[in-house]
Amino acid sequence: MKYALLVYEDESQFDPDKAGPHLRELVGKHMAFTQELGARRIGGAGLKGTSTATTVRTKGGKKTMHDGPFAEAREQLGGFYLVDVASLDEAIEIAKRVPLAKDGAIEVRPVMGP
Amino acid sequence: MSGAALERVFRAASGRIIAVLAARYRSLALAEDAFSEACVRALRAWPETGVPDDPAAWLYRSASRVVLDALRQHSVRERHSIPEPPPEPSVEDVLADDSMVIPDERLRLILICCHPAVAQDARAALTLRLVCGLTMTEIARAFLIEETALAQRLVRAKRKIAEAGVSFELPPPEFWPQRLESVLSTLEIAYSRAHEDASGTAARSHFAAEVLHLTHLLVELLPAERDAFAVAALVRYSEARRPARVDAEGFMVPLSEQDPRLWDRMRIGEADALLARAGNLGPPTARLLQAQLQRAWCARDSLGEPPPWPEVLRLYDRLLDLRDDPFVRINRAVALAQVSGPEVALQELERLDREKLEDFAPYHAVRADLSARAGRSQQARQAYEAVLSLEPPPAEERWIRRRLAALENDTVKS
Repeated sequence: MKYALLVYEDESQFDPDKAGPHLRELVGKHMAFTQELGARRIGGAGLKGTSTATTVRTKGGKKTMHDGPFAEAREQLGGFYLVDVASLDEAIEIAKRVPLAKDGAIEVRPVMGP
Repeated sequence: MSGAALERVFRAASGRIIAVLAARYRSLALAEDAFSEACVRALRAWPETGVPDDPAAWLYRSASRVVLDALRQHSVRERHSIPEPPPEPSVEDVLADDSMVIPDERLRLILICCHPAVAQDARAALTLRLVCGLTMTEIARAFLIEETALAQRLVRAKRKIAEAGVSFELPPPEFWPQRLESVLSTLEIAYSRAHEDASGTAARSHFAAEVLHLTHLLVELLPAERDAFAVAALVRYSEARRPARVDAEGFMVPLSEQDPRLWDRMRIGEADALLARAGNLGPPTARLLQAQLQRAWCARDSLGEPPPWPEVLRLYDRLLDLRDDPFVRINRAVALAQVSGPEVALQELERLDREKLEDFAPYHAVRADLSARAGRSQQARQAYEAVLSLEPPPAEERWIRRRLAALENDTVKS
């Protein structure tokens, strides 16, 4: 089964616009982790900070656009992995090992379709 | 056979049959529906043909046929999102064999129901429904929730299991500790629900019996897991004392004042045997020490014998090394008060983070009791009031009101 592992962390720890040495260190860990996952990783990416986000919202058929993420929260979606594994247990085991700078949360979501 | 007798037959067979079907066809909903349909067919057929020699085998064959019929209808396959046709189409061969044994897949079913990805408040309910065959009405009554709310909770849990890809395979060894932990804590929560109200109304005592049954099943299925034995022993020690927990007038009786002659000696013997097995399986765990604490109490023969406070304190000291949390510290303080006096114990309680324990009834109850014994009536009264504000079960509430009244009298006298 395919799962998306959505990585939530407080992005304020990564200096303005996610551009400092903190993030570089973490990116290194993600690259090593990607290597380790091998064929089980079928996709994924890190995302730039929410200050770069634009949200397009539809309400009552009307589209509006605003600067920023869709919701303000203490932790933000900072990236995701797509993995193809045998079961939820295996996906959870991978989620437990996703590198984090400090605190954070990984949401494990099954992907629709085959 | 009467309706009630039939119901007992259905209930006894349900766990095994649903487990086998779920394991084979990878769908809880399909297995549950098929078993219900088999029961309906039995109710129609048995009055005419008589109850078969092996009713469970009849129900199993019938339920298997229902599944196979269902699988032939493509639409059903979609609704239950069954991944692939079953790997063993030999079911029909099996059906021909009247003497077949139903394989025991209940451990798998328990592990699925108690998977940590299933909402915690649904795990026990789902286990009791699928593995023990309890009715929705019984489970709803025991958990004190509306039947519709329970139904929603179970539907959500089953959908999560199906959609999120919870594995129907027995997990590999590295997953065991976490999975077993989830199973045992589910059973502990279920039992504490059953144990909560000392008077144990009919619905709840029945519920306790099911938890005893499940813990028994678990040690049978996992004979090398000491924590499974420890939990099985612990619930038996607690259950053995049920007859002495409430007096004739409906007041809660504290453990040290319970008359040991009212305790169920057979249950205690059973618990002793289970605990001995647990002890042989390795060094003590927190659960093992908790069961030993229960044993220390249950070893008492009469009220004439002194309460085992020194041993209880010693066990709590060891437990604290393995599991340092407010619950252990509060219970240790109770024993400490008996060994070294209430003032020392109160000082221990002062060290706890009071704000975090504001809604924790045992904290206030112990503080109240120790304050009263230390002669701090005002503090005791406030703490008893704090317990009452948390709406304790009826027998405990009556007991606390009596203590409060006694405090008033003392104050008036002095």
